Amino acid sequence: MVRLLDSGLEQLTVMVYKSGEVAKSALSLSIRGFMNGKDASETVRDLSDVITSMTVEIENKAFELIVKYQPVASDLRIINSYMKIAYDFERYGRYAWDISFTHKKLGALGECAVASNLMPKLVEKVSEMVSKSVKALREHDAELAKTLADTENEVDELYFAYLNQLSKAGAQSKSVMCNLLVSRYLERIADHTTYVGEAIVYIATGEKISLR
Amino acid sequence: MENVKIDIQDLNVWFGSKHVIKDVNMKIKPNAVTAVMGPSGCGKTTLIRSINRINELIRGSRTTGEIYIDKESVYSKDTDIFELRRRVGMVFQKPNPFPKSIYENVAFGPKLHKMASGEELDFIVEKSLKGAALWDEVKDRLKENAFSLSGGQQQRLCIARALAVEPDVILMDEPCSALDPAATAKIETLIRELGKSYTVIIVTHNLQQAARISDFTAFMYVGQLVEYGLTKRVFEKPESELVEEYITGKFG
Repeated sequence: MVRLLDSGLEQLTVMVYKSGEVAKSALSLSIRGFMNGKDASETVRDLSDVITSMTVEIENKAFELIVKYQPVASDLRIINSYMKIAYDFERYGRYAWDISFTHKKLGALGECAVASNLMPKLVEKVSEMVSKSVKALREHDAELAKTLADTENEVDELYFAYLNQLSKAGAQSKSVMCNLLVSRYLERIADHTTYVGEAIVYIATGEKISLR
Repeated sequence: MENVKIDIQDLNVWFGSKHVIKDVNMKIKPNAVTAVMGPSGCGKTTLIRSINRINELIRGSRTTGEIYIDKESVYSKDTDIFELRRRVGMVFQKPNPFPKSIYENVAFGPKLHKMASGEELDFIVEKSLKGAALWDEVKDRLKENAFSLSGGQQQRLCIARALAVEPDVILMDEPCSALDPAATAKIETLIRELGKSYTVIIVTHNLQQAARISDFTAFMYVGQLVEYGLTKRVFEKPESELVEEYITGKFG
């Protein structure tokens, strides 16, 4: 028999998943804009605001389910984790907006005084992590979520190598500042994908692990 | 060494040909609240009634295995059942005060066990009513009939009656099922308090109540103990699929 809680959980799942998809789009748009020198800041800001509103709706729904059904065990783990994940998706969106805004104010990747293949690699890895975190959520796939830890290590290595390159360049131009900030935002997004991964592992297994 | 108040070993109980408790082994900690959950007819009430041998009052009941309280056998031939039932108090589903005054309800046990009289008895009655968080509400009307109390007050009076004979263990069989939310909240607070000084075992169908008030939770199914552990762990991440399905309302 279908429980009353089940339809609520289904609604919540759809809401969180949609929020992840919007966050993924916002990030993709901001990164493409930054790489190709095309300003996408307005659209990305709108998307980021949409995600923030969705986060509030997710929290409201989660509280409603807690009050109505007093969930326990896997039901409680799902609701608790979805609230955390919604916040992480909101951060994806906020960092996407930060990237677009930084690009608008300080310039695109092509304008950077330091030519490097590290930024494209960083972009590729972080985009992969974001997609993977949303996919793992959709399937409650703990094994996929755990693989985020390895990619996060690679992102950290790329990030610090890139910082090293930028610092050695000795240039103080705004384009260097821009790339510094963007790489930092990307590194933070990668961190948030691991928080999402940890929440998915908790939903699926009940284990609280660290993926960092 | 393990801190155990009640040690249940290979317990089996039959009512006629019906096997209602099957090979239950369980170590219950002192000064803690242990909740026993499970679907109707799973044997949880029979389990706690085995601890003070009340099942024996039912014709055709048969028990094998052992229960030790503080390492003393409950089922030994030498066990003084009168003394056992003093040490192991019981509170039932519906409040069942005697048709006597509030005072006499509480004084009944100590008088029966010849524990006290006169001022000493007054002291026990006051202490017990205070222990059951009822004293302030009834101190000026101790001679009134117990039936003049509300349902929640009657249940606390029954708890006071159990406390009056200085038990070590208090068994509670769905003590809030006949009470409204406000009375339930008071009893729950009281149970948490009692758990600091007594070994409390409570049968409840209310999962959230078990989660709120117990330190340990046992889950029974068709006479067997399926899972037993820290309440927080059982409600967050049950080991048994059966428990997961039961507490999330997927079966039961």
